[in-house]
Amino acid sequence: MEILTNILNLFGLETKLFIAQIVNFAILLYILKKFLYKPIAQTLQERQTKIKQGLQDAENAKEALKVADAQKVEILKSARKDADKMIELTKKSIQSIKQNATEDAKKQADEIIETAKKNAEAQQEEASKKVGLMSVDLSKSIVSKILSELFSEQDKNIVLARAVEKIEAGGYGKATN
Amino acid sequence: MTLAPSILFNIGSFPVTNTLVTTLVVDVIIIAIVLAFRASLALNPNGVQNFLEMVYEYFYDATKEVSSKVEIIYPWVTTFFLFIVISNLLGQFPGFESIRFFSAGSGEEGVPLFRTATSDLNVTLAFAVISIFMCHYYSIKHTGIKGYIGRFISFKMFPIFMFVGLLEFIGEFTKVISLSCRLFGNLFAGETVMGTVSSMFAFGLPLPFMCLELMVAVIQAIVFAMLTMAFMSIMIQKH
Repeated sequence: MEILTNILNLFGLETKLFIAQIVNFAILLYILKKFLYKPIAQTLQERQTKIKQGLQDAENAKEALKVADAQKVEILKSARKDADKMIELTKKSIQSIKQNATEDAKKQADEIIETAKKNAEAQQEEASKKVGLMSVDLSKSIVSKILSELFSEQDKNIVLARAVEKIEAGGYGKATN
Repeated sequence: MTLAPSILFNIGSFPVTNTLVTTLVVDVIIIAIVLAFRASLALNPNGVQNFLEMVYEYFYDATKEVSSKVEIIYPWVTTFFLFIVISNLLGQFPGFESIRFFSAGSGEEGVPLFRTATSDLNVTLAFAVISIFMCHYYSIKHTGIKGYIGRFISFKMFPIFMFVGLLEFIGEFTKVISLSCRLFGNLFAGETVMGTVSSMFAFGLPLPFMCLELMVAVIQAIVFAMLTMAFMSIMIQKH
């Protein structure tokens, strides 16, 4: 027993110090448990939840993107179909408009030609009438000139009147309508 | 350097030793670290929080690998580690033991004001007793009194298991001795070697020993924590 006491004294073992260290450790454990381990565990848990949520969100976004891609393809297909239909309709409508326009243009051209023809005929008639009148006047002046040299004024008027009658009777001096 | 810590003064009949003062310094450092952690606690960790999370996760994961009762074991293990590692590393600071304290009985040279806490058998023995006592407490709590006694007394295959039980019983005492003496021996021996080498060669030669002591400081803290973890996980499981 004495040897044991000597050994304990040699190592400085003291009951009070021993108990003090146990109490110190108990207090330290309490402090660390409450103010360190618990908050760390909570923070780690929170972080893990956030990471999981982030990964889940990323997965959801990926899925949504896939769906959106499929929808895009579908919409594009449908739009292309609609566009083709519209192009077809437009082509048909252009064809029809073109045909109508051609027909109208032809009709108008025919009418114009007809009117032009009529106008030309009228102008021709007018011109020939004018030429007739001019030729009567010319004949009159030629005959008058010739007759004034051959006949007296009185005879000349008689011959001239007869000649005019004859010319007019021949249809040269009448205006054509 | 003596095996026993130096008594600085007495408060009544309570002796205040230099290892007790160091223990209080370690407590203050740990509380300061906790306060710094609480002040900078964020979802995106930095500095102190990073270090503490690393320690926490290391011991939590290690405990998880050996026991299903991780929530019970890891606070003990981590607290042992933090206290021992900070105490051991504090003792490696150059000049740590050079600060002298003078009192009536300390003589002309005085006594060191600080001494590594774990180089005092009072500290290591207290830790070992706490560790083994809690192992037995949790063993009774989780396996029942029958299961607990069954570890040491068994009439199956008499007398083989009876003898094994006896060995187990003795083993519990040797656990306390091995845990406390390993930590105390390593740290005390390290300090003695450092003191001797430094007194012979002030420059150069102490450097490799300092590196070795730094390693010993961390390794011994891990060893103590891991052994506590192993003992607790074994005792909590049904025999």
